[in-house]
Amino acid sequence: MEKIISDLSHHIRLNKGFFLWMGFLGLALIACLYAYIQQLSYGLGVTGMRDVVSWGLYISNFVFFVASSLIGMLISAVLGLIGMKWVHPITRIAETIAVAFAAVAGLVIVMDMGRPERLAYVFMYARFQSPILWDVTVITTYFVISFLLLLLPMIPDLAVLYKRFGNLPGWLKPVYKALSLNWCNLPEQNRIIRRSIYILLILIIPAALSIHTVTSWLFAFTTRSGWDSTIFGPYFVSGAFVAGTAAVIIAMFFFRKNYKLQDYLTDLHFNNMGKVLVLVAFVYLYFNINEYLVPGYKLKRADAVHLRELMSGQFALIFWLVQVCGLLIPIIMMLFRRMRKPLPLTIISAAVLLGAWFKRYLIVIPTMSHPFLPVQHVPENFKVYTPTLTEIAITLLSFILVLIIITLISKFFPVIPIVETANDKGLDPLKSIES
Amino acid sequence: MDENTVSNGNEQDPSKSSRRNFLKNIGLLGAGVTAGAAALYSGDIFEKKKAATGESRVLLTQDNKLVEVDSLEMKALATNPTKMMLEKGREGIPGKRWAMVIDLSKCRNARRCIAACQEAHQLKPEQYHLNTLQMQDNAETAPYHMPKNCQHCDNPPCVAVCPVDATYKRGDGIVLIDNERCIGCRFCMAACPYSARIFQWTTPKDAGKHNGEAYNVELNVPQKLGTISKCLFSADRCRDEKLPYCVSACPNGVYYFGDENEDAVTNGTTKETLRLSKLLRDNGAYQLMPELGTKPRVYYLPPKNRLFPFEPSTD
Amino acid sequence: MLLLMVSAAGYLPAQNPGWIVPDDLKSKICPVKFSPEMVKQGEGIYLKNCQSCHGLPTKQNFAAIKPSPGDLSEPRVGTQKDGELFYRISTGKAPMPEFRNILNEDERWSVISFLRSFHKGYVQPDPGKSSSTAGKRIKLLMTYDTAKKRILVKAVELNKEGVQPAKGVGIVLFVQRYFGNMQIADPKTTSESGYAGFDWPRDLPGDKTGNVIVGARESDPTGSMQEAMVIDTLNIGVPTDKPSLTDTRAMWSTRDKAPVWVILIYTLAVITVWYFIIYIILSVLDIRKIKQA
Repeated sequence: MEKIISDLSHHIRLNKGFFLWMGFLGLALIACLYAYIQQLSYGLGVTGMRDVVSWGLYISNFVFFVASSLIGMLISAVLGLIGMKWVHPITRIAETIAVAFAAVAGLVIVMDMGRPERLAYVFMYARFQSPILWDVTVITTYFVISFLLLLLPMIPDLAVLYKRFGNLPGWLKPVYKALSLNWCNLPEQNRIIRRSIYILLILIIPAALSIHTVTSWLFAFTTRSGWDSTIFGPYFVSGAFVAGTAAVIIAMFFFRKNYKLQDYLTDLHFNNMGKVLVLVAFVYLYFNINEYLVPGYKLKRADAVHLRELMSGQFALIFWLVQVCGLLIPIIMMLFRRMRKPLPLTIISAAVLLGAWFKRYLIVIPTMSHPFLPVQHVPENFKVYTPTLTEIAITLLSFILVLIIITLISKFFPVIPIVETANDKGLDPLKSIES
Repeated sequence: MDENTVSNGNEQDPSKSSRRNFLKNIGLLGAGVTAGAAALYSGDIFEKKKAATGESRVLLTQDNKLVEVDSLEMKALATNPTKMMLEKGREGIPGKRWAMVIDLSKCRNARRCIAACQEAHQLKPEQYHLNTLQMQDNAETAPYHMPKNCQHCDNPPCVAVCPVDATYKRGDGIVLIDNERCIGCRFCMAACPYSARIFQWTTPKDAGKHNGEAYNVELNVPQKLGTISKCLFSADRCRDEKLPYCVSACPNGVYYFGDENEDAVTNGTTKETLRLSKLLRDNGAYQLMPELGTKPRVYYLPPKNRLFPFEPSTD
Repeated sequence: MLLLMVSAAGYLPAQNPGWIVPDDLKSKICPVKFSPEMVKQGEGIYLKNCQSCHGLPTKQNFAAIKPSPGDLSEPRVGTQKDGELFYRISTGKAPMPEFRNILNEDERWSVISFLRSFHKGYVQPDPGKSSSTAGKRIKLLMTYDTAKKRILVKAVELNKEGVQPAKGVGIVLFVQRYFGNMQIADPKTTSESGYAGFDWPRDLPGDKTGNVIVGARESDPTGSMQEAMVIDTLNIGVPTDKPSLTDTRAMWSTRDKAPVWVILIYTLAVITVWYFIIYIILSVLDIRKIKQA
C-alpha cells in the first residue's frame, strides 16, 4: 500500500528538471507573447492571411485543439462507462489533456479575432442563430465538465496525500486540504462523489459530441467546396478521437519515463491504447474515403478544383503525407503487436498527431484558397497563403500554454489515481493510513 | 460599446502603435465627443429661436428637410453623432427594396466604378467592395468582364452566421456592417459564396487623416482596423436620392439601380429610367449562383450583342 | 411645326440611323464666348464622360467599338458647326448616350469649347447673333380618361390671337421614380386639336394608395430648358405596400427575430446541462460538511 502511494506521488516535488523545463517554456512563452503584442498593435496584417484566405493557421489550430480535447470523453466516459478497468490509470491523463486543450482552444479563437477587446460582445449581443455562440457555449461547458471530471475523482487522492504528507513540497499542503473537502471516506461522501461522477460521465458525452460537431458546423454551414458536407460532424468527431488518442499515448510515454510509472502504465496499457488508436483511425479512414470519394465521383465544378488542388496541386505533398504517413501506414503498423510496445507506439502516435494537425490545415486553407469566383486584380500574397513567422510564433504560443498547463497539473497532482489503483488491488489507502 | 470604458492606455509614440492611437482616439471621442463634430454630423442647426429650454427649434436634417424639434430632445440626439448614425443606419428607407442590374454586354472593364467606390469608402487599391472579374464559363464560350459586388442577398449567409448582430440586413434590402460592433471573427467572409467581403488587415488607408471622425455606418467610414468592410449599395447616397458611387461613375452604361417596389431602375451613365421587370424579361436576366438559395438583389444581363471586341484584362 | 415632328421622330436613338441634324438646329450657337475656364470645365467633363470611348483628343486612343467613336480632334469633327455638335452630344446614338439627360446645356457647350481648342482654324460665331429662340410659348394640360385608361395631354399655344390648340408638338409622358423620371411609351405628337393620348400601363406600381406622380413635357431633342411641362399626382398606379424585408423571423435576422425553435433549443440545452453542473458543484461542496458520526 505504502508503495503505491509513494510511487504515485514521488514525482510531486520541485526538482531541477522541472525548473529547467518551466524555464524553457517560460522563455518561449515570452518570445511568443511578443509576437502576439505585435499582432495587437498592428492588426492581423502581421499574419499571412488576406482577403482570399481569411481563415488560416489560427482556425486550423483551433480545430486541432478542440479535437485533441475530445479524448477526455472517449477515455473516461465511453470506455469507463462500459466497464473497461484497464483505463483507470489513464483517465486522469486524458482529462488533463482535455482540460488543457479546451482551455487554450478558447484563447486560440481570441487570437484570431480582429478586435479581441470586444470579446464581451459575444455575450452582450449574443445571436442565437450564430454557430459561434453555440461553439463558445459548448466549449465553456465542456471545459467545466472536464475540469470537474479531473477534480472530483482526485478528491480521495488528495485526502490521502494530505494525511500522509511525507516530504512533498510544504506549500502544497493547504492546496490539498482545500481541494480534498474534508474527505474521510464516509459512505455518504462516497455516494455523492460516485453519483456526481456518474452524471458528469453521462453529461460529457453530448457535450463532447457537441463541441466538435458545432466546430465542424463553422465550416459545414457555409456553401464552400470542401466544407459543404453533411458528414462534417461525425467526420470531425472521429478525427478528434484519432488526434486525442495519439496525444494521450505520447503523454503516457513521457509520464511513464519521467515519473517512473512503469509499474502502473504497463505494456498492457500501451497495447490497449494502440488498439483503440487503430480502431478510431479505421473509422477516420472510412470517413476520409467517404468525404473525398463522394464529391470526387461527381466532380461538380468547384469540388473538382478543390480535389485537384488537394491531390495533385498546391497541397498534394501535405495531403499525401497526411493520408499515408499520418493515417494509412500507422494503421497498418499498429496492427502488429510488436508495434504497440511503448516506444514504437509513441513514435507512431507522434506521426499520427502531426498528421492530425496538418489535416486541420488541409481542411481550412485549400477551401479558402479556391472560392467560387475567380481571384483577380489582387497582389500575389492574397492568392497564395503563407503563414508568417509572427503567426507561427502565436500558434506556438498556444502549444506552450497547453504544455504549461499539462506540466503544472501533472507535476503537483498525482498523474495516476491513487485510491482507484489501490481499490483495484483490493486495498483501502485511507484506512491503512489512519490505522 | 461604450467608448468611455475604453482606457487611454499609456502615452506612446503614436507613429509606432497605430492601434494604441486608435484606442486613444476612441477614448477621445468617448470622453468628450466634441461639440463641433456633433454639430457637423447631427444636422446643422439652421435656426435658433429664442434659446430658452423646452422651446421648439427648426433644424435642417441631413436629408435637407426642415423639422421642428424640441430643444431638449435636440441636445440628447446631438451628443453622439456616431450613435445617431448607427441608429439611423439600422433603419432602411421605408417602402424601398433596392435592386441593381448589371448589363454585361456593355462592360469594357473601364474600372471607373471601382475607383469611385474605393475613393468613397477610403479603400486601398487592392481592397474591393466591387471588382471587375474576367469570366469565361467554359472553353467554348466567349470571355466577358463581370463587375461583382455584394449581392445584398435576401437570404444572406453572411448575416446568418454573425455572432454579434454586427452585420445586418435592413428592411430595404441593404446588408450593412456596424464596425463599432464587429469583433473581427471573419465568419461572414467564410460564409459568403461571392467573396464580397474584405477585412482591414492592416491600418486602413489614410487612417491618420480621419482620426476622431464620427463613424458613418451607411458609408462605413472611417474604416477601422480589424473589422469587415464590403459594398453597401451606397446606402448614404440612396438616402439622398442619388445613385450609388459606382453606378454614377460608369462611363459605359453598365449599371442600373433602383427600387424594385417602384419597378424602376435608372442607368447611371445615361440617367435613363426603365421598367425593371421589362428590362429583366427582355434581356434574359440572371443571378449569380441562384442554386445556393441566397436570393441576390443584383441581376446580370448576359453579354450578348456586344458593341466592342473583348479585351482581356491585364491581370 | 414640321421641325417639331422631325425632332419627335428623332427622339429615340434607334430611330436615328443616319444621325441627321435638322437644318435649323445646325445653326444653333453658344450664347456665350468660349473662355479658358470654360475649356477647363469642358476638359473635366470630357475626361469623365467621353474619354472612355473617344480617348484623349489627338492621341488616337479611342475604343475599338463599332461604329468607331473616332478621335474628336479630327477635321471630320472640326468642320461641323457648333449646332451639329451640340445636337449630336444631346441626342446621342447607340451606343453613345443621350447627354441631354446627363449634362445641362452649359456643360454641353463647355465640352464643345474644349473640343474646339483642338480644331485648327476654328472661329467661334459671335454669340451676340444668337437668335433668342423666343418662338412659340407652349402650355401643356393633362387629364386622365378613367374609362379608356388613357392619359390625354393637350398642348396649347399662347400667342397674340390668344390661346389656341398647338398641333404637332412632341410630347413625352413620364412618371416620377426615386432616381429620376421614367418615360412611359414612345413620344407622341399632338393632333390637329392639340391632343396626344397615351395608354396607361395598368401594372405600374404607385405608392401605398396607388398615387403616381405623372408628368408630360414637350420633347426637344436638345433638351432646352424652356420646354413646357405639366406634373400632377394621379391615383392610377397599382397600390404597392410590400412589407419590409426584415419582417419575418429568420436565421439571418437580428437576435430579436431569431426563429423561435432556435431560441428554444439553445436555451433549453444550456439550462438543462448547467442545471446538472451547478447541482453537482453544490452537492460536491456539501462533502465538506459531512463529518464522522
